[in-house]
Amino acid sequence: MLLKQMNILLADDDTDDCMFFKEALEELFLPTDFTAVHDGEQLMLLLTSETVKLPHVLFLDLNMPRKNGFECLSEIKRNEKLKGIPVIIFSTSFEHETVNQLYKSGAHYYIRKPSQFSQFKSLIQQSLEFIAQTLTEQPNRDDFVLKSVTINPII
Amino acid sequence: MTKINKSVEDELIIARQELAFQKVEKGKRAAELGIANIELVFQDEEKEKRAAELIIANKEVVFQNKEKEDRAAELIIANKELLFQNQEKENRAAELIIANKELLFQNQEKEKRAAELSIANEELIFQNEEKEKRAAELIIANKELAFQNEEKEKRAAELIIANKELAFQNEEKEKRATELGIANIELAFQNEEKEKRATELGIANIELAFQNEEKEKRASELSIANKELLAFTYVSSHDLQEPLRKIQTFCSIILENEKLSEKGQYNFERMQQAAGRMQQLIDDLLAFSRINTTELIFEKTDLKIIIEEIISDLKDTIQDKDATIDASGLGSANIIPFQFRQLMYNMISNALKFSKPDMPSHIVIKSSIINGKKINNKKLSADKDYCHITVKDNGIGFESHFSERIFEVFQKLHSKEIYSGTGIGLAIVKKIVENHNGIIIATSELDKGATFDMYFPAN
Repeated sequence: MLLKQMNILLADDDTDDCMFFKEALEELFLPTDFTAVHDGEQLMLLLTSETVKLPHVLFLDLNMPRKNGFECLSEIKRNEKLKGIPVIIFSTSFEHETVNQLYKSGAHYYIRKPSQFSQFKSLIQQSLEFIAQTLTEQPNRDDFVLKSVTINPII
Repeated sequence: MTKINKSVEDELIIARQELAFQKVEKGKRAAELGIANIELVFQDEEKEKRAAELIIANKEVVFQNKEKEDRAAELIIANKELLFQNQEKENRAAELIIANKELLFQNQEKEKRAAELSIANEELIFQNEEKEKRAAELIIANKELAFQNEEKEKRAAELIIANKELAFQNEEKEKRATELGIANIELAFQNEEKEKRATELGIANIELAFQNEEKEKRASELSIANKELLAFTYVSSHDLQEPLRKIQTFCSIILENEKLSEKGQYNFERMQQAAGRMQQLIDDLLAFSRINTTELIFEKTDLKIIIEEIISDLKDTIQDKDATIDASGLGSANIIPFQFRQLMYNMISNALKFSKPDMPSHIVIKSSIINGKKINNKKLSADKDYCHITVKDNGIGFESHFSERIFEVFQKLHSKEIYSGTGIGLAIVKKIVENHNGIIIATSELDKGATFDMYFPAN
């Protein structure tokens, strides 16, 4: 699948992060078909509405109001209609046990929100390329956490 | 008159015919009577012959009668004789019955007597046997008594000796009793003193128990306060990450997209570095507080898998540093898995960080079981086995007098411009080692690499 044709859904309550995401897609000249929702309830309502066109990939924040990312992930993976959607976790925190748990729950990739905008872009591009290649298949545990290719400059 | 004459004439004819017939009948009857007369004469003759025969027969009967009378007289005589004989026989039979009864009675009497004699005989045989047994027993008892007698004589002799001994001991005991009486008085006095002391100690004890309780209360208060503080650190650190990251990202967008003066660009880069250090600090503080707040749950875990996971996590840095990691002897151990992972992660990433810039990094990890007495450390007991894990590198090392200070929180040997870091990593290491009841010893010389020896109680 061509990256340009991808239908991307982001669930994140942080407006700055939504903006970074949108800008990153624009700078990468990637799809215009981008939707953002701002809490877990909105996300599940959208995904289960009759008229929805299911996204090719879902970027999911963990810490969201009303319904958090863990709850959304397990609801999606229990739903026959939705469980095929690749889910990429998009979170500030990074704890080993949490990461393990999310992999077991069926998430495809884990991205720790980077502090550099260039890393933001490269991680989004990298994850979309992987999804486009593997489609619905969950990758190996070793490849679960996506790391930025750009290294923090050490002075 | 003619008609009556005719009837009389007819009657006269019938009467004349009747008379004629009667005359014929009378002639037939006269002939029959002549025949009957002849018959009667014959019968008369026959009766006379019969009478003569009867006379002869009569004479015969008279003779036979006489004979019979003779015979009857003889029979009467014979009869009388038989009657007499019969009577005689009856008498004899009665006598025999009496005699018979007498014999029967005598016979029964004899049988009874015989039975009595037989029982008496058995009784006698039994009594005889019993007497023989008793005799045999008496012989044995006799021997036994003779033996006992001898024994008693011996015992009597011994008792005489023992008696003399007891008499001697008695004397001794009387002496000892006197001594004990004196000692007893002394002990009673000491006892009183001790009771006084015990009462004093009891009071002191109550005081100590009270103080102890107070200390326990204080300790549990402190423990709660500590936990609250650590939880606060964790939550605040976690929430600090979010805005900090935003500052960094906006900074990077401005640096990328805006045209700044040279001074402005420099200042923005410095701001970015400061934010980066703050991020590191928050990360480390989070890790440090997690070590203190999470429950210590020990599980049998494969150390090899932990090391493999860490190597996989650090593969980019390992590549950058051209590093080789050799791990050997790693088995299973009873550890707190996530803490131990953090411990080994910090050890390995430290070794990579402080590698020499001009030389490929080489890290050696070894594990073995060693006895406490071979380690020679005051903190370890000599009669226990320890799991000894070594992490050795060929990096820049440090002067040996820093070997303890490096484990203190926020203590650093290099300025942040040379080696970034918060000074928390090895403090976390030390804390985790202590959580596992172990010790860690750092050995190094400047420029000669560093060795970290860790000892954990085996099992």
